[in-house]
Amino acid sequence: MAGFPVGLIALVVVSGLIYLGLAHRLLDRLYLSDRAALAVIAAMVIGSFIDVPVVAGPVRVSLNVGGALIPLGLAVYILVRAGTAREWGRALLATAVTVAVLTSLNLFVLSPDPWQTGRDFLDPLYVYPLVGGTVAYLAGRSRRAAFIAGTLGVLALDGVDYFRLTRAGIPGVVAVGGAGLFDAVVVSGLLAVLLAEVVGEVRERLQGGPAHRGRPEELLKNLGPLPVKKELPGGEDRDEV
Amino acid sequence: MTKSKTFWLVLASLALVVGLTFWQANLEVRPAEVASGDLLYGEERTDGYFTIRDTNGRILDMTARVVYPGDEFIAEDNRHYRINRIEGDTAWTELLGVETLSGDSAQPVTAGGGARNLVAIYNTHSDESYTPTDGSDSIPAGGGIYKVGEVMAERLRSLGVQVEYDKRPHEPHDAEAYRRSRRTAVKMAQDAPAAILDIHRDGVPQASFYDARIAGEDVTRVRLVVGRQNANMGANLDFAKRLKAYLDEKYPGLVRGIFIGRGDYNQDISPRSVLVEVGTYTNGRDQAQRGGALFVEGLPPVLGIGTAASPQGPGPVGPGAPPSTRGDWRGVLWVIVALVAGGIAFLVISTGSWQGAMERLRRFTTREWGLGWPRPQRKRDDPRR
Repeated sequence: MAGFPVGLIALVVVSGLIYLGLAHRLLDRLYLSDRAALAVIAAMVIGSFIDVPVVAGPVRVSLNVGGALIPLGLAVYILVRAGTAREWGRALLATAVTVAVLTSLNLFVLSPDPWQTGRDFLDPLYVYPLVGGTVAYLAGRSRRAAFIAGTLGVLALDGVDYFRLTRAGIPGVVAVGGAGLFDAVVVSGLLAVLLAEVVGEVRERLQGGPAHRGRPEELLKNLGPLPVKKELPGGEDRDEV
Repeated sequence: MTKSKTFWLVLASLALVVGLTFWQANLEVRPAEVASGDLLYGEERTDGYFTIRDTNGRILDMTARVVYPGDEFIAEDNRHYRINRIEGDTAWTELLGVETLSGDSAQPVTAGGGARNLVAIYNTHSDESYTPTDGSDSIPAGGGIYKVGEVMAERLRSLGVQVEYDKRPHEPHDAEAYRRSRRTAVKMAQDAPAAILDIHRDGVPQASFYDARIAGEDVTRVRLVVGRQNANMGANLDFAKRLKAYLDEKYPGLVRGIFIGRGDYNQDISPRSVLVEVGTYTNGRDQAQRGGALFVEGLPPVLGIGTAASPQGPGPVGPGAPPSTRGDWRGVLWVIVALVAGGIAFLVISTGSWQGAMERLRRFTTREWGLGWPRPQRKRDDPRR
């Protein structure tokens, strides 16, 4: 960054720190510990610089380690960790619906240039995560399913691209997750979790607490006061529910 | 809620999303909004455009870009307008003020030098072409816009500036083009260029709107576009204004204006990023090449990089860094304000009260950062404990 003005460096550093901090808090909400979430982010940062060529020819395909392989691995890990077949089913259904809705939006609603129809309300960069997150939350009903659908749903758009380019005989590059940590794949997965978190909190707030009816007894038992994470000096910093 | 109710609720919500999708797609659109041709090939529309007028009806600008209330426009004469009303294909504006930047005020940026001697160029819409010379307004993955970009890159090189021109195509020309070109922009940003340019051409049908004779040459004028939905907007807008101010002095009339519209245009990736529209599809490409070449002459002095006498490679040049712009600091402020406001809103929603939000924040900072906030002492028999 040598040679750049201080204000510009501050802008880049502050924006980057906030993005990474938010990413850490959101990954923390999945099946990851604080340290594991930090390791995943570090791996994504480093992996952002590495592209793995996959297909040569007129339509070249490459996979970015930070923007595609790690998010994909994380989504698969979360899916494997999902306890029930029902959660599996929901996550995969949410992914399929996300791909269908995003492809429909792209083909039938959004204009060839952003902001050209008069119907656009948000930049496409944010439309994918918002739609992906909303659909994923509705169909998946959990932040984990939201992450899986948000990530895989946007990743799958590259598959659609490859198919369209090959069929039309247009040379091109499908650089899956090529923008690394700043790719729509990662942004989408993270925003989907954020959305699930906010919607979940609002919903619980409106209904006066988590839903009880129809829930397994084991789950309800664990909805009681959370265990004390760490007793700090003074004994005042325990979780209160 | 029973399982079946939940199932129907989810199904109904999905049906609503899909229904809205198709309903929106079939909404009646104005002539200006009709895109001609196959989406896959992204034909630029040729049958409509917006006219931007001031309160007296004077035409300020014409653009094929759809404009929205709240969009802003800095005209050639530096008057700064905001669009407040749209009637049909006419956007009516109010005058916000007059930009005071002059060619001299661009000089401080040049004084220090020091930014990396590298400019990055790419084309999000790699099909964009110039009908009179290219034979079509759209040539997928091989548009005439590449040749314009190449001439601009060559002119920069002749001025001692290193140029990274990534010619990766981003076909098809659809709403996802910016998602694809984001990857190109990020790759180039990893080399820390002094600025990133996304080169386009406009879709307004009147060639005369961009025609000009400047420095004894028939050229097209250029328009700069800055996206309003990006964290670096303030910094990017300052950069665009400084470019315009410098070029207004050197080549009066070359810069048609600065359009500040909705969108991100991947400008969140660099605080020195700008979208440049070099003429329109009905201009000749040779004209656009000349206009583009004159335009990039503004970059070295405004960025404080490369001179013909110092054709060294990428790396810091000059004794110190150029000064920060007001937009840089405004960007920092906005990012922090957004974080604080969003964080507080979330905490209030999740805890249900201001006190709850503060309590959770206190617990968070104590645990995660080891910061102990002073806590009001409560009596031991306080029933709340």
